[in-house]
Amino acid sequence: MFQNRAEALTLALPAATFAALVFVLPVIVLLSGGLHVEGRWTLEAYQRFFADPLNRLVIWRTLELGALVTAAAAVIGYASALAIVDLPAAGKSRMIGLVVLPLMISPVARTYAWLVILGRAGIVNKALMLIGLTDEPVRVLFTQTAVFIGLLQLFLPLMVLSLVSALENMPNDVIPAARVLGANWLQIFVKVVLPLTREGLVTGGTLVFAGSVTAYITPAILGGSKVLTLVTLLYQRVTIANDLVSASVIAFILIVMSFSANLLLNRIATGRSLK
Amino acid sequence: MKDRILATAAVLFMAGATAQAQERTLTISVYAFAQDAYAKIVYQPFEKECGCKLVVETGNSAERLTKMEVNKAEPVIDMAVMSMADALSAARQGLVDKVDTSKLSNFVRLYDIAKDPNQDGMSVGYTFYATSIAYRSDKVKITSWNDLLSKQLAGRVALPNITTNQGPPALYMLGLAMGKDTPDLKASIDAVGEHRNDIVTFYNRSSQLVQLMEQDEIWAAPIGRFAWAPLRKLDVPIKWATPKEGQTGGLNVMVVTRGSKNRDLALQLMDFWLSTKVQTDLANALVDSPANKDVEVSPEVAENITYGAETAANVKLIPSAVELANRENWLSEWNAKVQQ
Repeated sequence: MFQNRAEALTLALPAATFAALVFVLPVIVLLSGGLHVEGRWTLEAYQRFFADPLNRLVIWRTLELGALVTAAAAVIGYASALAIVDLPAAGKSRMIGLVVLPLMISPVARTYAWLVILGRAGIVNKALMLIGLTDEPVRVLFTQTAVFIGLLQLFLPLMVLSLVSALENMPNDVIPAARVLGANWLQIFVKVVLPLTREGLVTGGTLVFAGSVTAYITPAILGGSKVLTLVTLLYQRVTIANDLVSASVIAFILIVMSFSANLLLNRIATGRSLK
Repeated sequence: MKDRILATAAVLFMAGATAQAQERTLTISVYAFAQDAYAKIVYQPFEKECGCKLVVETGNSAERLTKMEVNKAEPVIDMAVMSMADALSAARQGLVDKVDTSKLSNFVRLYDIAKDPNQDGMSVGYTFYATSIAYRSDKVKITSWNDLLSKQLAGRVALPNITTNQGPPALYMLGLAMGKDTPDLKASIDAVGEHRNDIVTFYNRSSQLVQLMEQDEIWAAPIGRFAWAPLRKLDVPIKWATPKEGQTGGLNVMVVTRGSKNRDLALQLMDFWLSTKVQTDLANALVDSPANKDVEVSPEVAENITYGAETAANVKLIPSAVELANRENWLSEWNAKVQQ
């Protein structure tokens, strides 16, 4: 596109400088806070953090929630996306509008709605009792299940949108072709759809996972202090204990988690396509 | 044309900047609740009186203390209100200055307990409160702090988180009820840990309790009297317990930040806040129980707040030094027994 490299680099310079100044540099400063303690470089803060059983429990819980939300979002996301791409143009844009709609409502308002819906006298418990699944209300609020439901609802649209765009880029005739060749629906999904939409899955999965493990409002409101996640723990360490060293350690763990999820998803998707 | 617009903008900008420089600004940090009432009763009348501008930051006491620590070199706030223990901690860290009570004309009107709660001259109490248990009288009856962990309340009770002002006093009373009068709170933390699955949540802000009570999630919770009024307005029958072990409570104090450039203005606000008129108005709005003994309120108002010399004398407070000496231990004990 450009006559020479210098021209292209010059054009990229403002954006690169901006990113370096307001993103890369602060991240380095933030992360060094956990390694540079009391005037020397050390891994003590990390050792102390991992030695505490509560911290290990919180890391595990955060990972578990992130993985479960991502997996559930992928399953529901594929089903919805496959249904949406098959619709005629007008119906498709209406459905995408509906998917996007929750993203336009503040996460605080959405999460508060869950407080009412999941409560003892909420619609979920009423329905469960009406169909006779339980005699008395089930406790959902302030449990890991409540946080899971809240996060899934919060991030599912991102997965659906990524998968819809990936499915739209898939040639129209591959599914009929596979059918003609005698593949069943499971084979079609695993051998045709999944490899051809892996970029959508990786993008959506990374967004959902990174969003879930770093969300604050949902675990804070629906989980409370009984279901601590890494981010609510980080908030507690900073606001109550002024413990910026632990905060830096937690921030680093969160960054590692998000990058690993991206690599892992990439590996899963590529692995499938190579077979 | 463009030049003219630019010139006008520059002139307007500079005029604005000068006007701002002339107006004195006092930055304060307070608890987040009842801000509408505070604005009407304290902030707006004070701004009129001093001809200055008040900037109000909100948050809980521990968050405020942390912020003051972080900004020690360049204080952002001039005056803050906090719990007694946090005020002692701030004093020990050199974050606050001695309060010059000679400049507080209303100082003599305070209950003795509020005059110098930490006996270091660094803070003045402006409101105290009793802490007891609010409960659904149609569902349970509460006569002891032990009832919080009883079978009838399993899955129906919320407790304050250990990091809140209400946490340690409630645990202290629970310990008393179990016959353990020790500052390490070990017995009560162990007991809460054993019953952790029976406790709906450990709340961080009293305002959460209104919704939990209204939605029938909980039937009982230890609360400060300052959070009582909104609970009484609910459509469900809620009573204030008088447990046989007594009630606990706390005292909130005002401090002046060390290095504040507006110390006189901060003291002026403190004096204004402690005046009989403001303290009466705050009591009548059911916001704060008065620390000023000249305040007189109707029996209905008295019923909703912590009022009177006798009540003031009977509130069992954990001494700040004891709280500070044990805080770290309480938290690690709590994290080990309750959070896992």
